[in-house]
Amino acid sequence: MTALESKLADPGLKSAAAQALIGEHPTIAKLRTLVERVATTDATVLITGESGSGKEIIARAVHDLSRRRDRAFVPVNCAAIPHELLESEMFGHERGAFTGAAAPRHGLFSSADGGTIFLDEIGEMPLQLQAKLLRVLEDGVVRPVGSDRSAKVDARVIAASNADLLAAVKKGSFREDLFYRLQVIPIIIPPLRERRSDIPLLVEHFLDKMRLRLPGRDWVVTREAMVHLWSYDWPGNVRELENMVERLIILCEDSVIDAASLPANLVTGTRMVQTRIPTSLGEDGVNLNALVRELEGRMINEALKQTGGNKQAAARLLGLKRTTFSAKLRRCGVIAPSGNGREEL
Amino acid sequence: MEQTDSVPRIMVVDDDPDTVSILARHLQREGFAAIEAISGAECLRIAQERPVDIILLDLMMPDMDGFAVCRALKENPRTAEIPVIMITARDDLDARAEGIRLGVSDFLAKPVFRRQLASRIRAQLDMLAANRATEAALDKISSHTRNGEKK
Repeated sequence: MTALESKLADPGLKSAAAQALIGEHPTIAKLRTLVERVATTDATVLITGESGSGKEIIARAVHDLSRRRDRAFVPVNCAAIPHELLESEMFGHERGAFTGAAAPRHGLFSSADGGTIFLDEIGEMPLQLQAKLLRVLEDGVVRPVGSDRSAKVDARVIAASNADLLAAVKKGSFREDLFYRLQVIPIIIPPLRERRSDIPLLVEHFLDKMRLRLPGRDWVVTREAMVHLWSYDWPGNVRELENMVERLIILCEDSVIDAASLPANLVTGTRMVQTRIPTSLGEDGVNLNALVRELEGRMINEALKQTGGNKQAAARLLGLKRTTFSAKLRRCGVIAPSGNGREEL
Repeated sequence: MEQTDSVPRIMVVDDDPDTVSILARHLQREGFAAIEAISGAECLRIAQERPVDIILLDLMMPDMDGFAVCRALKENPRTAEIPVIMITARDDLDARAEGIRLGVSDFLAKPVFRRQLASRIRAQLDMLAANRATEAALDKISSHTRNGEKK
């Protein structure tokens, strides 16, 4: 085994948590401990994290570290299965329970007996099914659709959501009792932009994975490129970063990944999610004042960027008098003097 | 250094008192408590003495610049985990590279825009909340294990 292979190999089960949560950020270090500790229990876990943050990888790590590791890990994406099928998928059905149910069928809960069922996008589960899931969690029995008999099932439940489920509770689209029953142990994965300090480490990890896949090749990321990778907001989180590293390597002609190799949106610093400025009214109408402010802010920002923070020149670029420009600057939310000048706006 | 139910405490550090007070006013308007410091030394003293959730640190300061302040904060175990958001010129890649090396949590470009300021601070506050939730979950598991409860 090469040094690289042993660096990436799985020397023991403990490393499942380490693979799922790479980073040195204090919160990530604590999360690794939490994954290892919660795996020794049978507690229901609710994982919250944006898309691409690795919810399923963490659920698998909990399973792999638990006493259930030799039994099934059954992932269910509640958003991907049509609502009307979800109940029979989860709990199974009897023959003739509904049109097309020609033979009885086991549900995913039964498949996960002795193991772990991972309910992803739990917030998408219809309310009526939420009530049934609550009963399963409380009594440990499932009843197939069309059956009058319940069967005991021993499946550890790990649920996940990419949105704040508590908000759904307040809105009434998610049952409060189920929320608290699921959230015995909450695992909250912070988005990558909240722990940027781990980005260089993750980039190096993904490069190592590629070095293993493409032996004999190697790459370096320049300091400048790393600053851009660090500063980007990564809405698709760790998964997006991994895809980006792969893409950069595939497109890379020599072995140097520099700022010029990066896609434009990553370099230009378009990091704020901008309000879309519509060109038609639509049914709901628009807030014209807000749109005008948005456009003004954007143009002023651009002008300041182009002129390196020189307000006189920026005002000229926008065809405004200096005083008008300053007033707009204040209104659109520039709140600290720019550049070297220390003048108050 | 964090706290659960109180108003988040954001320290603003800049050698220019006007900038400090403008930023502080806006932070208060966003519902945060602002702590003002007009030198690196003052920042270090306050961070040592009382709880601060996030530090908004200007890079360009005489005597002790933002790098030196950041280095001192990270070297002190009492202050090492306080997220530092450094204010730099937008295109100063060298400054950013050095800030990254020193462990800053994020950057804000000059001129500072209100929305950007709020979103960068919220991101760090969310991270601190995730950190607290993780600690609470660890405590919960420990106490269950201690009580011999099998969940």
